[in-house]
Amino acid sequence: MSSLHNVFLDTIHEQRTLGVKGPAHQRLMAIQTTFADDIEVLNYALTLEHLEAAFYQLAPEYDLGTDAFGISINDRVAEVGAHETAHVDVLTQVITDLGGEPVAAAEYDFGVTDSMTFLATATVLENVGVSAYDGAGQFLENADLLSAAGSIVAVEARHASYFNLITGESPFPASFETPLTPDEVLEAATPFFVP
Amino acid sequence: MTSKQHTFEAMIQGALNSRLHEVSRRGLLRNAAIAGGSMAAIGTIGFASAQDATPVEGAESEESPFATPIDVLNYALTLEHLESAFYRDGLAEIGEMGVTDLGFDATVFEKLNEIAVHEADHVTTLTTVITDLGGEPVAEAMYDFGYTDAAGFLGVALALEDTGVSAYQGAAQFLIEEDGLLTAALTIHGVEARHASYLAILNEGNPFPEAFNPALTPAEVLEIATPFIVG
Repeated sequence: MSSLHNVFLDTIHEQRTLGVKGPAHQRLMAIQTTFADDIEVLNYALTLEHLEAAFYQLAPEYDLGTDAFGISINDRVAEVGAHETAHVDVLTQVITDLGGEPVAAAEYDFGVTDSMTFLATATVLENVGVSAYDGAGQFLENADLLSAAGSIVAVEARHASYFNLITGESPFPASFETPLTPDEVLEAATPFFVP
Repeated sequence: MTSKQHTFEAMIQGALNSRLHEVSRRGLLRNAAIAGGSMAAIGTIGFASAQDATPVEGAESEESPFATPIDVLNYALTLEHLESAFYRDGLAEIGEMGVTDLGFDATVFEKLNEIAVHEADHVTTLTTVITDLGGEPVAEAMYDFGYTDAAGFLGVALALEDTGVSAYQGAAQFLIEEDGLLTAALTIHGVEARHASYLAILNEGNPFPEAFNPALTPAEVLEIATPFIVG
């Protein structure tokens, strides 16, 4: 597990040295590293979903080609982007329904320069997303919210599998996912936030 | 394809589809609501609406069918045994040629073997955890998956993985008081979803057909899995 974890953090490090920039932004630093209640867990998830949804807005700028099965990668990515937007919408609504204050989207810089860096960044975002949900699930106290989070993380894992596959990695590199703590997710996501 | 095989696969796929359709109905409605810009509808549909005291359909908010966390783990182990046996025996039967004859390259066979290793690892881990907790891990049963060729094998593989993802999702709530076990289950759940995504591609389907993955209750999962268990 720990070696897998290191590989994972190496991937993050590699991503950070690809040219994505910036120190931690105050907004992101405000992510709770422990959670006072379920609303804070949901806002943590929403922070990541905003990041993903914004990222996929960039997709039309790049010709991503076709995958090994002859399917347009841009078409697939458009579906992924629609999923992330749906996750943002539902989390925002649920947080509001629960009396919380949903976090807003921030300004991001993904450091994407071409189709290769786009797909590499998508791969990192989706894999981090799975690990973030897996690490945070235990903090939810409400069973319905846990089930809802489960319905999202499975889709993130499906996305991650696809992006791993088309970028030449194993779609399922280990028998078990690697949960990440909020601190670790913070480290992975910080470079994408514009200070 | 023999008519017997066809009937069997159609039955399983039909059961799966109807269950997934049923439990994802709210999800579909929800997505339709989003598409229509009608955000207000979401709360009434009930996605994770924790304020809503009305019991919702599907896998959420039901009384636990499991007496103990060990029972939840044995439920998971039952499915992992099924999957592990399926890949172990099936890949030996169809062989690399069975896969390459379908037009796939040999790496697909390698990846299917990776999945086999994962399922065996899940069996081993769950067995160990159940034993460590003082429980009695369920044993592997005898199965008949009904396929007769590599294409049939891949179809059943997808059905099993989709069911597995939805099964973990439906059962996770029953581990909500057991943080360590819940996290362990989630780390398996994600891997099953990765498998399902890949197998959907091999079956020329959509790797991520919906924005929210449907959940299945234990009763629904058993209805799908029971036809495979012959002794």
